[in-house]
Amino acid sequence: MGIRNLLFEHRDVENIQDIAVYEKHGGYRGLKKAVKMERSAVIEEIKTSGLRGRGGAGFPTGIKWSGIPQNDDKPHYIICNADEGEPGTYKDRELMLKLPHLLVEGMIIAGYALRGTAGYIYIRGEYVEPAWQVRKAIDQAYRAGYLGKNILGVKGFNFDLYIHMGAGSYECGEESALMSSLMGERGQPRLKFPHAPYPTVEGVWKSPTLINNVETFCAAAKILDMGGAEYARLGTERSKGTKIFSVSGHVARPANYEVEMGTPLMELIEAAGGVVGGALKAVIPGGSSVQIVRAEDCPRVNLDYESCQQNGTLLGSGGFMVFNDRTDIVLLMKRTAEFYMHESCGKCTPCREGTRWIYKILDRITSGGGQPGDVELLLDICSQIDGRSYCGLGDAAAWPIVGAIKAFREEFDYWIAHKRSPVGPGHVPPTPEVVNPLLTLVPA
Amino acid sequence: MSQFRLTQTPPSLNPPSDRMVRVKINGIEVEVPNGENIIESAKRVGVDIPYFCYHPRLSRGEAANCRMCLVDVYMPRKNPDGTETLAKMPKPQTACTLPAAQGMVIETESEQVVRDRKGILEFLLINHPLDCPICDRGGECPLQNNTIFYGPPTSRYIEEKRHFPKAYPLSEYVVFDRERCIHCARCTRFADDISGDAQLAFLKRGADMEVGTFAQTAYRSKFSGNVIELCPVGALLSRTYRFKARPWDLHTQKSICSRCSNGCNVKFDYRLEQLLRVNARVNEEVNEEWTCDRGKFGHDYVSAPDRLKTPLLKRDGEFVPISWTEALDRIVEQLRQAGSNVGGIGGQRCTNEDNFVFQKLFREVLGSNHIDSRLGRYQGPVNRPLFERFGYHGMGNRIADLENMKTLFVFGSELVDEQPIIFLRVRKAWRFKGASVVNAVTRVEEETTKVADFAEVNLIYRPGTEMALLLALAHVILHEKLLPKNASTSALAQRVGDWTPARAAAETGVAAEDIVRAAHLLVNGPMAILVGRAITEHPEFEALVEVLGDLVVATGNQGNLNIPGTECNTQGAMDMGVLPDVGPGYRPIDPPGMNTHRMLEAAASGQLPVLWIVGAKLVENYHDADLARRALENCPFVIVNELRLTETARMADLVLPAASVAEKDGTYTSCERRVQRIHKAFDISPDIKPDWLIFTEVAAMLGGTPYFSPRDILRDIAATVPMYAGISFRSLGDAGIRWEYPAGDA
Ligand SMILES: Cc1cc2nc3c(=O)[nH]c(=O)nc-3n(C[C@H](O)[C@H](O)[C@H](O)COP(=O)(O)O)c2cc1C
Ligand code: SF4
Ligand code: SF4
Ligand code: SF4
Ligand code: FES
Repeated sequence: MGIRNLLFEHRDVENIQDIAVYEKHGGYRGLKKAVKMERSAVIEEIKTSGLRGRGGAGFPTGIKWSGIPQNDDKPHYIICNADEGEPGTYKDRELMLKLPHLLVEGMIIAGYALRGTAGYIYIRGEYVEPAWQVRKAIDQAYRAGYLGKNILGVKGFNFDLYIHMGAGSYECGEESALMSSLMGERGQPRLKFPHAPYPTVEGVWKSPTLINNVETFCAAAKILDMGGAEYARLGTERSKGTKIFSVSGHVARPANYEVEMGTPLMELIEAAGGVVGGALKAVIPGGSSVQIVRAEDCPRVNLDYESCQQNGTLLGSGGFMVFNDRTDIVLLMKRTAEFYMHESCGKCTPCREGTRWIYKILDRITSGGGQPGDVELLLDICSQIDGRSYCGLGDAAAWPIVGAIKAFREEFDYWIAHKRSPVGPGHVPPTPEVVNPLLTLVPA
Repeated sequence: MSQFRLTQTPPSLNPPSDRMVRVKINGIEVEVPNGENIIESAKRVGVDIPYFCYHPRLSRGEAANCRMCLVDVYMPRKNPDGTETLAKMPKPQTACTLPAAQGMVIETESEQVVRDRKGILEFLLINHPLDCPICDRGGECPLQNNTIFYGPPTSRYIEEKRHFPKAYPLSEYVVFDRERCIHCARCTRFADDISGDAQLAFLKRGADMEVGTFAQTAYRSKFSGNVIELCPVGALLSRTYRFKARPWDLHTQKSICSRCSNGCNVKFDYRLEQLLRVNARVNEEVNEEWTCDRGKFGHDYVSAPDRLKTPLLKRDGEFVPISWTEALDRIVEQLRQAGSNVGGIGGQRCTNEDNFVFQKLFREVLGSNHIDSRLGRYQGPVNRPLFERFGYHGMGNRIADLENMKTLFVFGSELVDEQPIIFLRVRKAWRFKGASVVNAVTRVEEETTKVADFAEVNLIYRPGTEMALLLALAHVILHEKLLPKNASTSALAQRVGDWTPARAAAETGVAAEDIVRAAHLLVNGPMAILVGRAITEHPEFEALVEVLGDLVVATGNQGNLNIPGTECNTQGAMDMGVLPDVGPGYRPIDPPGMNTHRMLEAAASGQLPVLWIVGAKLVENYHDADLARRALENCPFVIVNELRLTETARMADLVLPAASVAEKDGTYTSCERRVQRIHKAFDISPDIKPDWLIFTEVAAMLGGTPYFSPRDILRDIAATVPMYAGISFRSLGDAGIRWEYPAGDA
C-alpha cells in the first residue's frame, strides 16, 4: 500500500513525450503483445485485471469492452473522455501532458480488441497544452506505424485517432452528452438504458461506441504490458490496481499521487506533506460531487471503492481535496452549488431549477438571511433532484450538499442563527505556494 | 444535407411491434406491444400519467426532460434456482420513454411517485410568473391542470423569480413569453423533426437556458403556428389571438381549412361573429395534428371589416347597395335575355353543394354548357391526361400513403408552398421512415424549409426542359437495365430516343451524374410522383403526364402518379361537373361548352352577354390577365359572387355578397378525393348568402326546382354522382370519406 507509481513509472523521465524515449522505456510493448493475441484474449486480459473505470463511476472496464458486438458490420468508435471537468481533478491533464503515448497506446489496444474504426479524444477546451502533447504523440505514432493502415503489419487492422476539443462544459464529460457534443449537437445527455440501447450497441452515429476515461486507457496499456493477473495483484479484493489522486487544498505539496488501491486516506495526506495552515477538518476524496468526510472519520477510510462507500462517500474521479479548520463548510458548499448551477445543462427540470434554488438559499444564508427550516428545505430539494434528474449531474449536485449537512449540520445552523461564519472572519485561507510546477509546462 | 438523418432519433411512438408482452400497471395486467412506451400502455388501462414534454409525433431524443411522468418500475429477475423475483429499479423512470418489457410492473400512485410529481411541479413553478389571469393559456393550460391534480398547494420558494421581457416577437405570428417557458423542448423538436426549418433552438444553459433563434433573427417558418398549440404553457402565443378572449368564452366549430387543397381538419374558435383563432383538429389520414401558417392565420378574411354585406349594383361607374330582391330581379332579367348564351367561371373555393347547384342552374335551367371551374393553363378534356389511362383524376395515392413510399419524386413543385401538408408527409417519410426523395425544380425556393433540404438528389433544371430531363431519366433506367425483365417498358422505350444523360445535361443544365443517380433511386419502389405547378402550367402538360405515366407503369408503380389540385375544392368542383365537357361524376357532355379561356375570349369580343364569376380572382390570377380584363370590360353583364371587393369584383356590374367557409354548411373534396364536412359557425350579416342559395333562388325564379339546404343538395349529389353514392353528412363523420371510383368505371 502507499505510493505506487505504475502509470507514472516514467513520468519524470526527460522527454518521455517523445516516442523514441517512450519506446526505450518499454513503450508500445503492450500494443505489440496485444496484436499477437486473439482479440477476445485482449478483452479477457482486461477482465482478469479487474480494472474499473477511472472516470468516476467505477464500472468494470472488461465488461464494458465485451459489450461491443464482435460480428457486425457497423463502424466501431473508441472514445476517450478527456473532458476532466470534475472540480479538484487534474490527473488526466498530467497524464496527457507527460505521458501522451501511454494514452495513445491504450486507445490503439482498444481499437484492436474491439475492431475500432476510429478513435476520438474529447479534450476539455481549456487543456491546450495537454492537447498539444497528444497531437504530437498521435503524429509520431502514425509515423511509427502504430496508427493508420495495417498497423504493426496486422492485415486489416486500421485505426485512426482524432482530437476533439470541448467548448467549456462540465456536462460534456458525461458520456452521453459527450457523444452529443462530438456529433455536433447541443451538449446535452441522451437517453440511456433501458430507454435506449447501451452506447456499446448504439453510441455515436448509431454505431457501437466504447467510452473510457484517460486513466482507464492508460491503465489498459499497462495491463497489456504487465499482464492482467499481475495488475490484479495490486489493490484490494474488488478495487484492483492503482489510482491517481489529484491532491489539492491545505496540504504542503498539492500534486498528483498514484497510490495502490486500498491505501489509507491519511497516508495520502502524509504523502502530500500533511495539512498546512491548521488542523485537518475534512476531506473530499473523489471530486466535488462526492460527500465530504469529517476529520475524525478519515482514519477509517481507505482509498478504494468499497471503503469509501462504506464511509458514506465515493472514490469518484480522485479529486482529493483537503481542508483545514479555517474552512467554512457552508461557504464551500455555496461555491460548490454555484458550480453545479452554472454547469447544469438545463435539460431537465429538477437539475435546472433545483441547482439554482439550492444556490440561492445558500447565498441567502451566507449573506445573513438564513431562516429556520432552510436546512430541511435544502435536504428536501436535494432529495427531489437526486435520482429524479435526467443525468448524473443532478445527483452530483445534490450529494455534496446532503453530505455536508450530514457531516457539518452545526455550521449551517450557526450561519442561520448568528448570520456569520462559525470559523471567524479569516475563513478564506491563503492559497499555498505551488510546489509542483505543473502549470508552467509549455509545449515545445 | 440528407446525412443529417444520421443522428435522428425515432418518433416517440415506437413502431408497433407484433410481439406482445404482459405488463402490470397499478395491479392491472395488460398485454401490450413489446417496446411500447409505458405512458401509452397506461392509457390502455385508463391510468393517467401526467406529462409535459412527451409528444408521440416528436422524436425521443430531446424528450424525457420535464420528468413529470416518473413512475416506479419493478423488473422480474431470475434467481439461481429458476424462480423469479421482482426487483425495484433504484431510480424512478420516465414513463414517456420506458419501453414495455415482459413482466414489467409499474406503480404510478405510490407514495414516492406522488411526492416526486409534487417536487417536479414545485420546481416548474418556482420561476413561473403565474400570471394566469392574463395568460392566453389559462383555462386550457397543462401546467394549471397538472398542478390542480398533482401539484403542491403552496410553494416554499421565497427567492426572486427569473424575469424577462414579456412579449418577445419571435415571428410574424408568434410572440414568446420567456418567463412562462418550462423548457419542454416541444417547439424545438417540432422545428427539427416536423417542419424542418430548425430555427428554434435552446440557447445558453442551466437556469439561463432559453428558446431562441440564431442571433435573434426572426423565426421564419411556413408552419410556425403549430408551436403555439404544442407549447404546454402560455409561452408561445399567437399574435393575432393574444388578449382577445378567454378560452371558456369561445365557441368551437369543426371545419376544413379553406386555404389549399390538402384539406386540413381544423377547429374554428369564435365569439359572436368574430373568428378568433384556428386550431388543428386531428385527422391521422390528412394533417395528423398540424396546420400550415396560411391555414392557421389566413382565415382573417372571414371576419374582416370589409366583408361585403349587401349586393352592389354598378350605376354610372359607381357601386350602389341594392336589396336582394332587386339583385335577383336583375339577374333573372339578364339571364332571360341572354338565353343559353351565358358563361359561368369559378367554384374551386365553393362547396360541393354550391358547385352542384351552380352547374345545375346552367345546364338544366339555362341550357348552357359554358361552365368551367378551371383557371389554370390546361383546359383541355378533363378525362384525358390521367383518367382515360389510369382511371382516376388528380391523386392516385392517399396523402397518408406517401409516407410508406421508398422513393418520392417531386417534379416541378415548390411543394412546401403549393401543398404544405403533403410536404410534411414527404418530410416524415424521409425523416422517420427512411424514404429517399428526388426533387426536380427550376430553382430552389427561398424558404426556410423545402424539399431541396433533404432530397437525396436535386435536379435544378432550366425552365422548359422538363421533357428532356424526364426522357433522360427514362433513358438511364432503360439503358442501364435497372428494371426487372418482365417490366412493361415498351411505351417508355419508344419515347426515350437518344436522350442520353450527357445530351440532357447540356439541354437542362443538370449534371449528367445527378440524372443517373436520380434514375437509380426512381426504380427503388414503391415510388410515387408528385407533380406541381411547373408541370400543370406547362404548355406540354399532356405530353409530360403521358411520359410520367409511362414511367410509373414501367417501374410498376401504377396509381402512384399524383397531380394534386390547388384550391380547397378544386377536386370537388370537377367532381360536381363544373367543367365544359363533363357533367357531375365526369359523365361526358355533348356538345361540350366553352372552357374558361374561350368564354373570356368570347366575352372580350362582346359575344357573351352574361358572365357569372363565382369566387374566382380572374383579373388578379389568370395567366392572361389582359384577356381577363378585356373580357370583363366588354361583357355587358358580369355577376361576381365574392366575399370582398376584389379587383375582379370591382369590374363587375353586380356583386353578390357570398358566405365564407365559417358561415355555411357543406362539403369540400380535398386533393386526395376526401369529402369532408364544414359546419356553419355564425352569421356575419343576414344579407350574406351561401352561393348555393343564390343559385337555387335564381333557378326557382326561372322555373327550376329549388333546394332547401345543403343536406338536401348532398342527398341529390349522392343520388346523381356515382362516386358520391352513400355519402351523407352523417356518413362523413369527423374524418371524412375518401371516395373510390366505382368498379368497372376505370
Ligand atoms: C456530470 C458528469 C460529468 C462527468 N465528467 C467526466 C469527465 O470529465 N471525465 C470522465 O472521464 N468521466 C466523466 N464522467 C463519467 C462519464 O460519464 C463516464 O462514466 C466515464 O467517461 C466512463 O469512463 P470509465 O468507465 O473509464 O470511467 C462524468 C459523469 C457525469 C455524470
Ligand atoms: S441533470 Fe438534467 S439539467 Fe442537469 S446536466 Fe443532466 S440533463 Fe442537464
Ligand atoms: S402558462 Fe399556464 S400556469 Fe403559466 S401563466 Fe399561463 S395559464 Fe398560468
Ligand atoms: S416555449 Fe413552450 S414548447 Fe418551447 S420549450 Fe418552452 S414550454 Fe416548451
Ligand atoms: S413527459 Fe416524460 S419526462 Fe416529460
